Amino acid sequence: MSLRQLLLRLPCYLGASGPRRGPLDTIASVVSWRGQSSRSPAHWNQVVSEAEKIVGYPTSFMSLRCLLSDELSNIAMQVRKLVGTQHPLLTTARGLVHDSQNNLQLRGLVVLLISKAAGPSSVNASCQSYDMVSGIYSCQRSLAEITELIHTALLVHRGIVNLDELQSSDGPLKDMQFGNKIAILSGDFLLANACNGLALLQNTKVVELLASALMDLVQGVYHENSNSAKENHITDDIGILTWKEQTFLSHGALLAKSCQAAMELAKHDAEVQDMAFQYGKHMAMSHKINSDLQPFIKEKTSDSLTFNLNSAPVVLHQEFLGRDLWIKQIREAQRKGRLDYAKVWVSLNGVQRLRDTQKPASLPLSCDRRSLIIHSPFPTEPQNPPQHSSPGSHYYCVRASKQVEVHLPCLFN
Amino acid sequence: MASCWWRWRRGCSWRPAARSPGPGSPGRAGLSGLRAAAAAAARAQMSYFNLVKSLTSAFPNMYSISRFHHMTPAVCCCSKTRSGEEYTDPFNLGWRDLKGLYEDIRKELFISTTELKEMCEYYFDGKGKAFRPIIVVLMARACNIHHNNSRNVQASQRAIALIAEMIHTASLVHDDVIDDASSRRGKHTVNKIWGEKKAVLAGDLILSAASIALARIGNTTVVSILTQVIEDLVRGEFLQLGSKENENERFAHYLEKTFKKTASLIANSCKAVSVLGCPDPVVHEIAYQYGKNVGLAFQLIDDVLDFTSCSDRMGKPTSADLKLGLATGPVLFACQQFPEMNAMIMRRFSSPGDVDRARQYVLQSDGVQQTTYLAQRYCREAVREISKLRPSPEREALIQLSEIVLARDK
Repeated sequence: MSLRQLLLRLPCYLGASGPRRGPLDTIASVVSWRGQSSRSPAHWNQVVSEAEKIVGYPTSFMSLRCLLSDELSNIAMQVRKLVGTQHPLLTTARGLVHDSQNNLQLRGLVVLLISKAAGPSSVNASCQSYDMVSGIYSCQRSLAEITELIHTALLVHRGIVNLDELQSSDGPLKDMQFGNKIAILSGDFLLANACNGLALLQNTKVVELLASALMDLVQGVYHENSNSAKENHITDDIGILTWKEQTFLSHGALLAKSCQAAMELAKHDAEVQDMAFQYGKHMAMSHKINSDLQPFIKEKTSDSLTFNLNSAPVVLHQEFLGRDLWIKQIREAQRKGRLDYAKVWVSLNGVQRLRDTQKPASLPLSCDRRSLIIHSPFPTEPQNPPQHSSPGSHYYCVRASKQVEVHLPCLFN
Repeated sequence: MASCWWRWRRGCSWRPAARSPGPGSPGRAGLSGLRAAAAAAARAQMSYFNLVKSLTSAFPNMYSISRFHHMTPAVCCCSKTRSGEEYTDPFNLGWRDLKGLYEDIRKELFISTTELKEMCEYYFDGKGKAFRPIIVVLMARACNIHHNNSRNVQASQRAIALIAEMIHTASLVHDDVIDDASSRRGKHTVNKIWGEKKAVLAGDLILSAASIALARIGNTTVVSILTQVIEDLVRGEFLQLGSKENENERFAHYLEKTFKKTASLIANSCKAVSVLGCPDPVVHEIAYQYGKNVGLAFQLIDDVLDFTSCSDRMGKPTSADLKLGLATGPVLFACQQFPEMNAMIMRRFSSPGDVDRARQYVLQSDGVQQTTYLAQRYCREAVREISKLRPSPEREALIQLSEIVLARDK
């Protein structure tokens, strides 16, 4: 499979994957960009191993230096003490270990792929070419690792619990305090490693890009937290534009800015940097949209709580319906007893089914078309026509909307 | 009557005759402890005074040190009453370049969400001591004058002052969550008001804003220097988790932790402004060593104040370190006199009554005095380093600042 094909197809797989248990589930599922492509996990694994072959060797998730350090073994020891408690850090840690074989470092992989796709800059071909392995500069490899570190750090930090909101079912306060302590420390440790790696890149523009990505990510996580805290309340009155802004912060910014930074490291000009930014952004966004879509297109959802009232389809639905009508419908559903999101959705969509089946799917389409367009300028490997009838990401959207059409009736019947 | 006698005896003799805390007198421990500390400090004052005398004979232009120590006891004084001349007050001198410091920091925090912005700005309310920014700008001027007699602070050097304060604040926010602290600088901590979940994000956000500001200076050396601080802060926090069995190792461990958690920030931001102001590596090392020694002294005194000051003055609860299970300098020194403290240190003062008992041991021992003395030695080293620079009002201010560090009571 050629690199170009892979880049084109990656959004498809990423988009089509998504956590098994829905967008609002535990951190573990956020960790994993698990490769459940609609066809088979085996196929997904094949794609990733292709990708890893193309970039030379797999991104080392947190380099050996980091794994061998005293601090990390200290963390591991401390986390072991948490076993048996309810602290979310455990879930995160389990996700990290459990998923490590399952392509945890996809963000890093994307950064490497786009680095290779872009190749060395024509303007500055002389510099550092000795430093290249499999067509990727060593500094770009470090960058891929930094991207993963920042992502993981925030994942760990988002698993902090508020001590005064604990229920008795959460176990002893002391355990939770200790869990918080370790979660903060390990997140900070990862961030410090990221900072260290950034400093070693000797490029202040890249430092600024990644620092601002961290700032975006933190703000995005803040929005996500405040949305999910109000899980049982009425949704915020946000339109799809606000939703896009917030999702860019929480999901798009890191990948977008990392891709851009990878271009900066290879001394590519502003135009190529912007393309890489757009590619990263749209790929991350379509992944998020797709995982938002999952609860509504899956035949059976085991857990109704996984419905996020601030997910893309709901926000679109609310925008279509109008705020007042939406609130009225939710209140009605609440009056009938415990708010069962699955049922709310069913009752709401009983009316609007047809239009809504179109709407969520049309969003990733517009996103992916853009990331599709930006591929073309990259001087890459032989330009074989993609094997699918339509290019990868496009294919995904078509397929996704078909899925919606097929599955929605099942869900509602 | 008996208790009066007890108090009198303990207050007057700097080293108590009794080797263990008097049973049934915990209520008076605070008062008698303070007196014992004052007495201890007075003695420390004397020994340091002798040292300073020998030092001043070597450096005749350092008259101000000995004069200062004549006037003020090391622990129980207020720095504000100390200096009448405006131009020599380090804070006045430094503040000339720091006007609008907090407004400028708030400008760096470009955050759209109101609540998040409020949390991040919470400690940049202008009520902090701004100790770090002051040192940084004074060092910047001292280095600039040393290098080419330039009387200006560069914009990039001033930015380091902001960044140092931001990194410091970010670490405070995280530390308070880690320690489950509820008050700081006389107000509630971020985690108590907004909850732990949001507080952690606020810390991360301040750190990212600091990193952006740092990157915008555009100097890769400076980026590396201040990145070291972030790493040290985390490693210091990790060191604090563990404790050592062996007494010698324990002290080295404590000093390493103190360097990483407090001194590294001051040392490296001093170094950063020297790099920006002067190309000479010798000057960079002077700046670094000054910052490191002052930083160590600063934290040692902080650890002393945790035993000798009252919470109203500090703006945070005292004996906080013991309650967190931490054995700081005074405890480690006291342990040499009272080996029974070993067990308490090893169980991190977790048994009921440990904190009170350890506190009394410390106040009866010369732990406070020894720690203060150690701090004085670091300050002397700092003064020795900074004196290698060409004379300037800022250099003198930095020398004075090291004394203020020793004399501070909050």
